[in-house]
Amino acid sequence: MKTANQPLLSLKGITKHFGSLTAVNGVDLDVCPGEIVVIIGPSGSGKSTLLRSVNFLEEIEEGTILFEGQEIGYVTSKHGRRHLDAPHKICALRSEIGMVFQHFNLFPHMTVLGNVMEGPLTVQKKSPEEAREIALDMLAKVGLSDKRDVYPATLSGGQKQRVAIARALAMRPKLMLFDEPTSALDPELIGEVFDTIRDLGKEGMTMIIVTHQMGFAKEMADRVIFMEKGSFVAQGTPEDFFANQMEHDRIKSFLNRIL
Amino acid sequence: MKFFNGRIAKRSILLFSCVLLFAASICFAKDYDQLFSDANDAMAQGDLPAAIKILKKVEFEKGDESGAFVRSRMQIARLQFALKDMDAASAAAKEVLAVYPDNSEALNFMASVQQEQKPRYKVFIEDCLRFLPQLLKGAVMTITLVVCIILISPLGGLLIALGRISTFKPVSGLCWFFIWLFRGTPLLLQLFFIYYGLPSLGITFKPFTAAILGLGLNYSAYLGEIIRGGIQSIEHGQMEAAKAIGMSYWQAMRRVIIPQTYKRLMPPIGNEFIALIKDTALVSTIAMVELMRSADQMFNAYFNVTALILAALIYLLFTTIFTFIFEKIEIRAGIYENR
Repeated sequence: MKTANQPLLSLKGITKHFGSLTAVNGVDLDVCPGEIVVIIGPSGSGKSTLLRSVNFLEEIEEGTILFEGQEIGYVTSKHGRRHLDAPHKICALRSEIGMVFQHFNLFPHMTVLGNVMEGPLTVQKKSPEEAREIALDMLAKVGLSDKRDVYPATLSGGQKQRVAIARALAMRPKLMLFDEPTSALDPELIGEVFDTIRDLGKEGMTMIIVTHQMGFAKEMADRVIFMEKGSFVAQGTPEDFFANQMEHDRIKSFLNRIL
Repeated sequence: MKFFNGRIAKRSILLFSCVLLFAASICFAKDYDQLFSDANDAMAQGDLPAAIKILKKVEFEKGDESGAFVRSRMQIARLQFALKDMDAASAAAKEVLAVYPDNSEALNFMASVQQEQKPRYKVFIEDCLRFLPQLLKGAVMTITLVVCIILISPLGGLLIALGRISTFKPVSGLCWFFIWLFRGTPLLLQLFFIYYGLPSLGITFKPFTAAILGLGLNYSAYLGEIIRGGIQSIEHGQMEAAKAIGMSYWQAMRRVIIPQTYKRLMPPIGNEFIALIKDTALVSTIAMVELMRSADQMFNAYFNVTALILAALIYLLFTTIFTFIFEKIEIRAGIYENR
């Protein structure tokens, strides 16, 4: 029981500056296995930066990141200077944490299957046959088996994002990070990506989703967090959040603006 | 006495005839000199037919000791040649050959008359056939150089490009310096320095090695900047996505970033390689016998412009073939964008 309650990911006092701007200001967050955390908030509130720092795409100045109870990613040198851990360790950590980007970032020179195979093949050094097997499974999961031999340029935005999800899943990550996964999509294409992510949640995948799409918060979140100016302003279950936290002036004005 | 008288008589006859012969020869020679000088006057006035008429008065005499006959007929031949009357010209030369069948001046003249009577294209083709073997030998060397540099310089350029974007300052600084140096000085000077300058520091190269070294370093510097531009033109998200699935920097470069630069790099690199084909002409200055040098040698030996025209045609052929090949490669490299 105790192990089940141990957070998969635990962030403590995460702080990140861009020059004089404080993007993330001492954020604490525990994410339990199987939990779906949805972070909302206005642009520039630091939610993407927070998400990216979990994957070390941003280097944080203060705070610790614990993954499965282990402090990860940063070491302190003899001179007391804190810096990112050795590149091969960072790579190993990243391969356990999947990430999906707003702009998909598919590899345009590889076919759909090639994109999904790439992680198992190059990073995990699996045999081409094995990597192909995994990739086909993942493509089936996102419903794009028939598109395996085409290049990403021919896909719709929704299809591209589903391939990107399959690519991340092919590494068998323990945690998935979604950085505004539907923001670059036409409204009619949001549904397919939304459904894919929801199915993933039903399978028990632990996820942190940064989004402007209230559907994520309302329909699949275990916890909704409102972030503004680098800090968490309010959080709660969707029911609690949309019923009670709406009293919060800033949340109310934010929701009014986007709804 | 009789004997004595007879001897005197014999001697005096001999002496007399000698004097007579001498006088006659002076007399005749003087006559011909007058003719030649008259002919010269006529030529000076531009009246070539008149000059020919005068020269025709010189007649053949046994032996033609004075050479006046040959001189006059060859002069007539040249004048007729200048007047474009080839039949009359060769007739005059044949008069000489009738008397002296192996007079080299007349033989040469007949050859050039024949050459002149040939159509221009035939002359051109004959020149081509004469120069082509030597030029092709040079062209083989040019192609050898080009192929070597095409194999070497992209690798050198890639190393320099990766060095330039390295976050490790000494490496990026060194690569910056390399590019600064080799892009900032003339290739000709670099070749001179390597071939003529380095021996004074105790480093000696064969011409071929010096040529490969000079062209290789120069083109690596240029390609380095082109490839760096190509790498940096790939959007940042590609590197992030590669890192997000756990790739190292070098894995991401090798598998994701660099393959995407191929299509973008083909046009500028193709351009550089076409410039390279022509730049190989510069190594003719460091004792390399390639196409330009061969053409130059032919031109100097025969003073015949056909050698230069042929060399230009061979260069054009090479650049055309390369343009064609690079267009094909470019289309293949970007195939994923068209499907």
